[in-house]
Amino acid sequence: MADLIWLHEGALRRTHPVFAAAAPGTAAIFVWDRARFAAGHVGARRQLFIAETLAELEIEIHEGDAAVLLPQLVAAHGANRLLVPASPDPAIIGQIATIRQAMPQVAVEQVEDTAFVTLPREPDLARFFRYWNKARKSALRPHGV
Amino acid sequence: MTALVGEAAAADETASLKGGRMAAEKALAAIDPIAYAASRNHLDGAVTRLSPYLRHGILSLDEVRNHALASVADPRQAEKFIQELAWRDYWQRIYLVHPDRIWNDVESYKTGFEASEYDSELPADAVDGRTGVACIDQFIAMLYETGYLHNHARMYLAAYVVHWRRVRWQAGAVWFLEHLLDADPASNNLSWQWVASTFSKKPYIFNLDNVAKYTGHDINTRMADNRVLALSYERLGELLFPNLEPAHG
Repeated sequence: MADLIWLHEGALRRTHPVFAAAAPGTAAIFVWDRARFAAGHVGARRQLFIAETLAELEIEIHEGDAAVLLPQLVAAHGANRLLVPASPDPAIIGQIATIRQAMPQVAVEQVEDTAFVTLPREPDLARFFRYWNKARKSALRPHGV
Repeated sequence: MTALVGEAAAADETASLKGGRMAAEKALAAIDPIAYAASRNHLDGAVTRLSPYLRHGILSLDEVRNHALASVADPRQAEKFIQELAWRDYWQRIYLVHPDRIWNDVESYKTGFEASEYDSELPADAVDGRTGVACIDQFIAMLYETGYLHNHARMYLAAYVVHWRRVRWQAGAVWFLEHLLDADPASNNLSWQWVASTFSKKPYIFNLDNVAKYTGHDINTRMADNRVLALSYERLGELLFPNLEPAHG
């Protein structure tokens, strides 16, 4: 199985579990998506910060609409699985859905980051301290376990 | 002159916030959870400035927490620091489960005003950093010059925009997203909602005494230069929220 990794601006490190989930030596790609940056109000200073981070990561960078480019890049790499760091960003979630539609033969899998806390069930998110009262014990342990 | 030197030094320190894992690891190695707990509320306190690295996943919450725990003898010494990390985890969970809450009022304003009574645009003088309220203008200058603000400065600016200028929190949230290095829709917007009272039990306000308490000499807290803030909380409540019943007891 040939893999390809799509790194986005919420997961810019090589220690992200998405790399461990992929076959060794899998290429990682970042798409400089000006439309998504504009919609997300990503200012010039943040763009520079992201660019500095990408320069250090030494990964492939392409410019355009990620939802359009990624099916092409998956094909160019001969991949049949696209791995993406999981994100709560609706714009990224929407692009993943579009990519899935464009290439139904390719598996698109989201990989969660290392957990901060381990909770037996979904916490009450109505107020922070309701969450914290459930999360505190785990949060104060190494690896949250 | 001392104030100007202090400002320049602070700007330089923040201007050195570079992207990349190497810079992130350097910042992580410098954290002191015990000093953080003691001084984090002060603008010159031992804050970590890790937020841009966490925002972009250059560091994970897990590894930062693990590093903090390894640097103290007892986990409780790192609790305040880890609790602040937990805020990010909390905001991200809301973002995933309730993405509609990022740009919409979670609850009604508890200010005595309807949402429709708030302006939808930032006033030009705030955008220009020329409100005439000295400390507010300094915080706006910091935002533009460094892309970073201490949490208290963020709360002061947010409260000033929403409650003193009666502007919808969404306008301020966009303003911060465009300029902050750690701009995150969940952390940013839900914090604005917390200040506005659309995601809290009451509006957050502050006064000049509070600014003076938590800022150093670099910030102008002279009464003559900050008239609209130089009032008691009781008087501010009357002026900013005239439709509310006065609090008793």
